[in-house]
Amino acid sequence: MPRFALLALYRSLTRDKLYALLTIGGLAMGIATFLVLALYVRFETSFERWVPRYDRIYRVDTAVQFPGSPFNGAYPATMPGMLEQMREDFPGLIGTRIRGGGFRTPNGAKSGAVLRGGIATAENVAQIDPSFLDVFALPMVQGDGARALGDPGAALLSRSAARRYFGSSDPIGQTLTISLDAPANYRVAAVFEDLPANSDLTADILIAIPKTPPPSEWAWYKWGTASVATFLRFETPSAARAFAARLPSFIDRRARPDFGPGASKWLSLPLIPLADTHLKPSGPESASRQLMVTTLGSIGLLTLLIGIVNYVNLATARAGLRAREVAMRKVVGASRAALIGQFLGEAIASVAVAALLGLMLAEVGLPLVNAAGGTALAMPYIWALSLLAAVTLVVGVAAGVYPALVLSRFPAAAVLASARAPGGGKAGARLREALVVLQFGLAIAFLIGTVVMAVQMRHLRVADLGFRREGLITVTSLADTKIGQDQARAFLAALRALPGVQSVGTANAAPGGEGISNIDIVEQPGPPGQGPLLRLISAGPGFFETYRPRLLAGRLLDDAHAADDASDWKRWPLGRNVVLNRRAVTALGFRTPEEAIGKTVGNPRPRTIVGVIDELRFFSPRTADTAAYYIYTPNAVYQHIGAVRFTGDPRAMLDTVQATWRRMIPQVPFRGDTADRKLADLYTEDDRAMRLVGIGTGLAVLIGCVGLWGLAAFSTARRVREIGIRKTLGASAGDVARLLVGQFLRPVLIANLLAWPLAWFAARTWLAGFGDRIALSPLYFLGASLIATAIAVLTVLGQSLRASRASPAWALRSE
Amino acid sequence: MIQLNAIHRAYRSDEVETTALAEIDLTVAAGEFLAIMGPSGCGKSTLLNILGTIDRPTSGAYLFEGEDIAKVPEAQLAKLRRDRLGFVFQSFNLIDELTIAENVALALAYRSMPSREKRERVDAAMDRVGIAHRRNHHPHQLSGGQQQRAAIARAIVGEPRLILADEPTGNLDTENGAQVMDILTRLNADGATIVMVTHSPAHADIAKRTVHMLDGRILSAVRRAA
Repeated sequence: MPRFALLALYRSLTRDKLYALLTIGGLAMGIATFLVLALYVRFETSFERWVPRYDRIYRVDTAVQFPGSPFNGAYPATMPGMLEQMREDFPGLIGTRIRGGGFRTPNGAKSGAVLRGGIATAENVAQIDPSFLDVFALPMVQGDGARALGDPGAALLSRSAARRYFGSSDPIGQTLTISLDAPANYRVAAVFEDLPANSDLTADILIAIPKTPPPSEWAWYKWGTASVATFLRFETPSAARAFAARLPSFIDRRARPDFGPGASKWLSLPLIPLADTHLKPSGPESASRQLMVTTLGSIGLLTLLIGIVNYVNLATARAGLRAREVAMRKVVGASRAALIGQFLGEAIASVAVAALLGLMLAEVGLPLVNAAGGTALAMPYIWALSLLAAVTLVVGVAAGVYPALVLSRFPAAAVLASARAPGGGKAGARLREALVVLQFGLAIAFLIGTVVMAVQMRHLRVADLGFRREGLITVTSLADTKIGQDQARAFLAALRALPGVQSVGTANAAPGGEGISNIDIVEQPGPPGQGPLLRLISAGPGFFETYRPRLLAGRLLDDAHAADDASDWKRWPLGRNVVLNRRAVTALGFRTPEEAIGKTVGNPRPRTIVGVIDELRFFSPRTADTAAYYIYTPNAVYQHIGAVRFTGDPRAMLDTVQATWRRMIPQVPFRGDTADRKLADLYTEDDRAMRLVGIGTGLAVLIGCVGLWGLAAFSTARRVREIGIRKTLGASAGDVARLLVGQFLRPVLIANLLAWPLAWFAARTWLAGFGDRIALSPLYFLGASLIATAIAVLTVLGQSLRASRASPAWALRSE
Repeated sequence: MIQLNAIHRAYRSDEVETTALAEIDLTVAAGEFLAIMGPSGCGKSTLLNILGTIDRPTSGAYLFEGEDIAKVPEAQLAKLRRDRLGFVFQSFNLIDELTIAENVALALAYRSMPSREKRERVDAAMDRVGIAHRRNHHPHQLSGGQQQRAAIARAIVGEPRLILADEPTGNLDTENGAQVMDILTRLNADGATIVMVTHSPAHADIAKRTVHMLDGRILSAVRRAA
């Protein structure tokens, strides 16, 4: 840019500091929002792409499709013995299993432990196949990883785990007591680099997977179960497709003992590319994570768009004020092309300033965003600068081209002869109004989305779960297979004796969705093997006293009725007393809970219904309530989760429970928390997403308001003379203020027409992911629109009032 | 109709105080046609603005039809302008975005009357100044003379008792200037009181009385025989 053009830009920015602040500040905010959200999208879409040859790795899922089963869907795992059977049938197959801990959990829970002096510390311990490194080529820091994997007594540690246990001394050759199925001593054979943050693999300790099933694994070769992650490597996508094509016959052949003939009708083993496993997880969260990333990415782009619109709007609106400069330049011989070049250059230079400012804002705001979103985003500068350079060029041209064309078209003579500045005419005013509609349409849509999310999250937090979530602690580690029945019972008795404890119960399921998922078929009269599939929950001693479900009909299971005791599973074929939940009543074909009482269902394993309770919602709000029945097993607490109903301070109680655990079961790390925190873990991801959406929305609305404010300032300045005339003709200050506010209200009101369908569609899609969801009330839409309108009115009101109070004599002179 | 007693108007900027009007005493009787003359910057327009209540005196009394309006609140002044005053400006002050008819109707916009009556009044006012055939044009499509006639139509549509004209012929050629003066003379004959600022001695001669101003003071008053 020639020197004078630079000077003109500098002067035009410094002369009107407010204008510079509004245009560049608004754009900088838009760029900052875009940058941070782009960083988020980049992070979320980069999962597992750090793994060498990640595009050749596939996870084997288990997808079940039984008619009417509550457990239909895909699970990100297989039965533990799957890879063994695959290897037998497909020689040369490259693959590995990852069993135990090793994957990210919503609450960061670790399965596995390291024992030192008899005290257990929770660790991410994973068992893997010797071929693990052929699939996941983890970079080694020390030792020979490949050789270590062949040794069942060797362990691989992550760099930070090695530092944790051995400090600065050499870890290779040292011994560590590691516990997954049972504690055993392992020799540290290699150290691998810590796994990066953009990974769902979180293993810190790798040991060999047992060659024969450990005693606790009854389902090692049980088709239809899913407890171990299995990964395969194929050199080409077509090799993977060819393998997938041979799976149905493999399933029919191998699953026959568990499923009968034609098992591939019910069961399939989809191969999921490793890079897809994070954004398209199996299970109830399947759609939500990708939806969130798409949503936040769109918000980033659209907020940038709002910033650009802002810039274009203010630049064209103000262009008229520079008409005299343009005219003089033309008089002294500037061509139209030179003028276009000058204004485009100015726009690109301004956007570059805004981009740098945006980068600073993003850097300053990043810790706040990380805190709100639970993320660990960091700004890679090479990436950010190259992105910003592209943004600057695109936005500079996009934002500069219209003002450049408008300004360069001003006829010199007319501008110089006239006392007044041209403002782009009617078309310009129309365009500005359309852009305000676009800005506010998007902002209002964001606002509605935020309101709906906030209401839904609040709904989840206070929703009736069928039990009181306050004053309840669950002890998940009690379900550890290394704890014997006697030890568990002694611990439960110790809890009961604690002051403040009202009752203690157990079950194989607990709030937060932890525990074992069992389904059971309830046979109906007719062909064998047919009937509704119900979730089977075995309630241990004290379960009903602790959770206190609402009884709808009949009675609860208790010790007073000997026939209620189903502790001995060998006696199940003789008949059991059961309690149904409300949904199971319908599933079994009864019209009312009362009608079900006393009925016996499910020959040849008869179950007699003695009571019906309302749903106990232990599981993710994304899953719909499932039909379930409860049996009572007062004398079998194996793999049960403990639950403590108490009064008083939850923190103190949790400490006491933990101290009791440490004293009685030191060999297993304590895992337990208050029920409301466990339940909150289920919404963590949605909560974080909501906060990010909220921040994006706030900024979008703010930028929109900055633009509206600038536009009002400009328009009011242009209309000073008109205001003077109107006042001279007898308009009161109120009349004028109403006129000016009304002028800006119109596009904001029209913006609602754009926002409502957009927000309705987005909100409906998001809510569809929840089993328990709020209805989309028109009140959210009206409320958000009202808020946006109020903000818009407040934005322009100050200027309108000031303009309306100005003396008409001054206004008329000011041309 | 109008009585000004010791009207003083000063403008204050950061450091200097400029006196625009000093000790002005002026009486305008109902039905008068008064011309104010003087060089640029002598305070003519300021005086006219104060008469029109769109500017306020720093001190002094302003009686309009016997009522001291120097201390009347702004809202009431707006009503006074609406009902009793009409303005004509040198630069017309029409609103570009509105048609001629809409510009004229603007003077009735802040009054409550049936819209049919408004329409009839607007038509009558435009007829009176011979601009009715241009009703749907925008100001910039009209010549200066036509624009000024439209501005006069807007000034009279509310049937004001006092018409204030600030150099109404200043931007017009001789022929159009003469036409505008004809209209003003006719309006005065029909009973309107007119106060006009002008640079043209010929146009001042048409008025019944001329006041000469210099440096914010009234120098002399010339009264012609009626």
